[in-house]
Amino acid sequence: MGKCAFLRIPALFFLFGVTFSCNKENVSEEVSQAPHAVKLRVPVNFPPVLEHADNPLTEEGIELGRMLFHDVRLSGNNKISCASCHRQDLAFSDGIALTTVGVSGQALARHVPVLFNLAWAESGLFWDGGSKNLESQALGPLTSADEMFQDLNVLEQELKADPEYVKRFAMVFKDGIRSVNVIKALAQFQRTLISGTSKYDQYRRAGSGAGLTESELLGMNLVNSKCKACHSGELFTDDNYHNNGIDVAFNDDHEGIYQGRFRVTFNPLDLGKFKTPSLRNVLVTAPYMHDGRFKTINEVLDHYQSGIKISPTTDQLLYQNRGQAGIPLTQKERQAIIAFLGALTDHEFMTNKQINNPNE
Amino acid sequence: MKKILSIIGLSALLFTSCSKDKDAIILQGEGKVTLTMDAVFGNQDFALKKDFTTSGITYNFTKFRYWLSNVVLVSTTGQEIKVSGSYYLMEETGEIKLTGVNNDLPTTVYPATKRESVVLKEVPAGDYKSIKFSIGVDQKYNDNMSLQSGELSQLNGMTNISWMWLTSYIFTSAGGKVSDGKTTKTMLIETGLNANYKTIVLDLPKNLSITSSTSTSIVVNADLSKVTDGIDVMTNPVVGASKATVMAPVANNYANKVFTIKSVN
Repeated sequence: MGKCAFLRIPALFFLFGVTFSCNKENVSEEVSQAPHAVKLRVPVNFPPVLEHADNPLTEEGIELGRMLFHDVRLSGNNKISCASCHRQDLAFSDGIALTTVGVSGQALARHVPVLFNLAWAESGLFWDGGSKNLESQALGPLTSADEMFQDLNVLEQELKADPEYVKRFAMVFKDGIRSVNVIKALAQFQRTLISGTSKYDQYRRAGSGAGLTESELLGMNLVNSKCKACHSGELFTDDNYHNNGIDVAFNDDHEGIYQGRFRVTFNPLDLGKFKTPSLRNVLVTAPYMHDGRFKTINEVLDHYQSGIKISPTTDQLLYQNRGQAGIPLTQKERQAIIAFLGALTDHEFMTNKQINNPNE
Repeated sequence: MKKILSIIGLSALLFTSCSKDKDAIILQGEGKVTLTMDAVFGNQDFALKKDFTTSGITYNFTKFRYWLSNVVLVSTTGQEIKVSGSYYLMEETGEIKLTGVNNDLPTTVYPATKRESVVLKEVPAGDYKSIKFSIGVDQKYNDNMSLQSGELSQLNGMTNISWMWLTSYIFTSAGGKVSDGKTTKTMLIETGLNANYKTIVLDLPKNLSITSSTSTSIVVNADLSKVTDGIDVMTNPVVGASKATVMAPVANNYANKVFTIKSVN
């Protein structure tokens, strides 16, 4: 809230000044100056970001999205918000394998994904990329019976009953409170969730030698040589889909939810492939994998070292053990990798007051 | 196009002496056409909750809904006139309880609706030889549900939870019961997915002359007996998001068999 409130107070005073002496048209002219266009502040070591012309970022739109993200009125039972499962202190994950916090109380079939650096997620959302953009994606959790189970008609009514929302929607969208504008505002806020202020980022931006310990540097080199084919670039994800060998078979229960990318493309080569999660903040986003089956980072390393299961689509990149599946690591190497992963933890992001619950 | 222009030009000349009102209409040079998608089952009129039998299988429908989109009229000179914002939800359905419910409120009910006709407005005056339309929603809108045009909406039940995970539209939905005389099964045959967006071109049996003063109509038969043509509907009574291989031939039936021209007036 901080910065925006500061900007808005003098603007309001100005408005009052005008209303006393002028007619209504002048007032609406002043109001129409909002919303103010915003450009994402992209960390210098990050790739350029695509702009979404259909839903341009504005200061007011982002702030509205932030309010909605933290508002329990978005759920059918008015008890859970997006933030119930996407906690800022856990890099917008939930720390639970398969949560039962949804309206039905049923465990979800998939682990809650982290939310950061989504402005670069251009190859689909969800673990299988079933949604093409953040706007459409929001309709999934909003309406799913096992998640927020919200009736979109009811949501519009509830928001229209709140004068603050009426005012804020009108500032951002010509047609005011509509469910399509709810998903647009949520998408705007989520595109601003940029995690790029970890110890590693400081090291990258300061130039070589600064900041990282010997063990962290060793870990970085190991990650570069053994993990970066998938966890690539400064985002530490290739934003693509891989079968990392956690299962031998992928049954078609629950409308193919265990089949991964195949469920979306129906290409047999995509069976069992899931989205590469970023290594950023990985030490605070346990448990791991699309179903949260690995409780600790050590279990994940165990898997890559000696637990890879072979099926027709198991990724060839995992064959790092003289032609066999697996990534051999010494104890020292494992410790170094974990030390480096710690340097990817972004404490500033997880405590940033620009993106927290505005009502706290 | 030249012909149309010269007709408009000639009309303008002829009517220069007429009243201002008439002048204005003629200079606009636009008319409208009522497009009716008349649901039938073979040679019978379609109705909900009525038995229809073909090839030993008896169907009893409770709903038939689909997105009719991107309507284009093709003039006798080959010019394509696109009807802007033409996304229409065509339907014949009983009450539908929509998914996504507030616990404190009764289920949101989509009321029983029958909608077979749409009026295509602002069509330039002229002679038209064929009509082109699509069944489903084109990729741009199907991939981003925050973009809206025409009647596209998430609020009418033509998206649902299982589809929501692909966050896209249901293109067609035909539901009810199906029976082979021995067993009766609940049927829900749906299409969706970008690959199943189909465009259909139908030549009109005679040229359709559109002017600003006459009312014209095109009636298209939508034959539900063709929807599951070639599909073993007793084995696959439910075709949805996860049944892409069965869905493809259903979508092809919509593209090639379901729609025919009934009449042009």
